[in-house]
Amino acid sequence: MNIGDGGSGGKPGQDFDLNLAPIIDCFTVLITFLLASASYLAVGILDSNLAVEGVASAENKKKPPAIRLDINLAENYAIDIKVSGKGKMNKTIPASEEGWNRDALLSEIQGIQQRWPDTKSAVITAGDDVAYLNVIKIMEIIRPKLPSILLGGL
Amino acid sequence: MALQITSMADIFIILLVFILKSFSSGGASINPTPGMELAEAGNTKEQVEALNMEISELAIQVDNKPVTPMKAFRFIASDLKESGISNSLDSALEAQREKQKIISGANSDVEADSKILVIADARTPYKTIKSALTSAAIHGYSDFKLVVKKKE
Repeated sequence: MNIGDGGSGGKPGQDFDLNLAPIIDCFTVLITFLLASASYLAVGILDSNLAVEGVASAENKKKPPAIRLDINLAENYAIDIKVSGKGKMNKTIPASEEGWNRDALLSEIQGIQQRWPDTKSAVITAGDDVAYLNVIKIMEIIRPKLPSILLGGL
Repeated sequence: MALQITSMADIFIILLVFILKSFSSGGASINPTPGMELAEAGNTKEQVEALNMEISELAIQVDNKPVTPMKAFRFIASDLKESGISNSLDSALEAQREKQKIISGANSDVEADSKILVIADARTPYKTIKSALTSAAIHGYSDFKLVVKKKE
C-alpha cells in the first residue's frame, strides 16, 4: 500500500507496503472456523400448550369459548372430531387415498366455526403409534383456522 | 512479481462481516443429532431461547446431555414408572427446574421459564412424545415450542 511520496526534503520516505499476508491468514482461520460452526438447518417453532381437564389455557382465561374441540388422530389415518361443552358433536373423517383427509377436516372445522364463532383453539390427541410427523402435519393444516393448539392425552 | 492480496483482504472482510451478521440475528442455534429427521412445517415462528429436550431414536437429551436411553424411539421398560413416565427424564427435568429456581431466587430479574424446546424425530410415536411432554409439564415446562424444519 503506498501512502504519500515522502516529499523531497532528504528525510526518510514514508513509502511502505503494508504486509497483508498475516491479516489474510487470520481472516482465513476466522472464516473457516465460523463456517464450520454454523448451522445450515433452517428451523422454526410451532407453539403448543398442554391441555389439562378443567384448566383453561392463558388465551381462554378471560372468556372461555362455548365449546371444546378435540381432534383425535387414529393409526389408520381416520380423524375423530369431538365437540363438547355448550354444543355436542361427534364425527369421524375416514382416511383419504393420500392419508389424512385434509379437505374434509378443514370443511368440518369451518362448519364448527360457523356454528360456534368463538372457536379458536383445538386439542389434538393421537393414537400411541401415530408418528409425531402426523401430529405436526395436522397442526399445520388447522393452524390458519385454529391458532391456539393444545396437545392432549397427556 | 508480488501477489496482489489487497482485493483478497477486501473480500475476506466482506465475508467476515456477512457471517458475523447472520450469526447475531439467527437467535439460538439448534443442532439436532446427526441422523435425526425433523418434521417439516410452514408458517412457523422464530427460534426462542429455552431449555431444549431432544427426542431421538436412541436417547433423550436435556440441555444437550443424554439423560434417557431409548430403544427404537421407545422408553426402556425398566426406566418407566407405573404412570408411564421415565424415571431418568423426570430426574433430569427436575434438576433443570431446580437450577432455574436457584437462579431466579438469587436474581429477581430472572423468572423461572415455562418454555421448553421440543426437538423430536418425525418418526417418534405419539406415546413417547406424550410421556416426555407429561414429564416436562409436571416440572412446570408447559409452554411447548415444537422445533420443525422450515418448509422452503
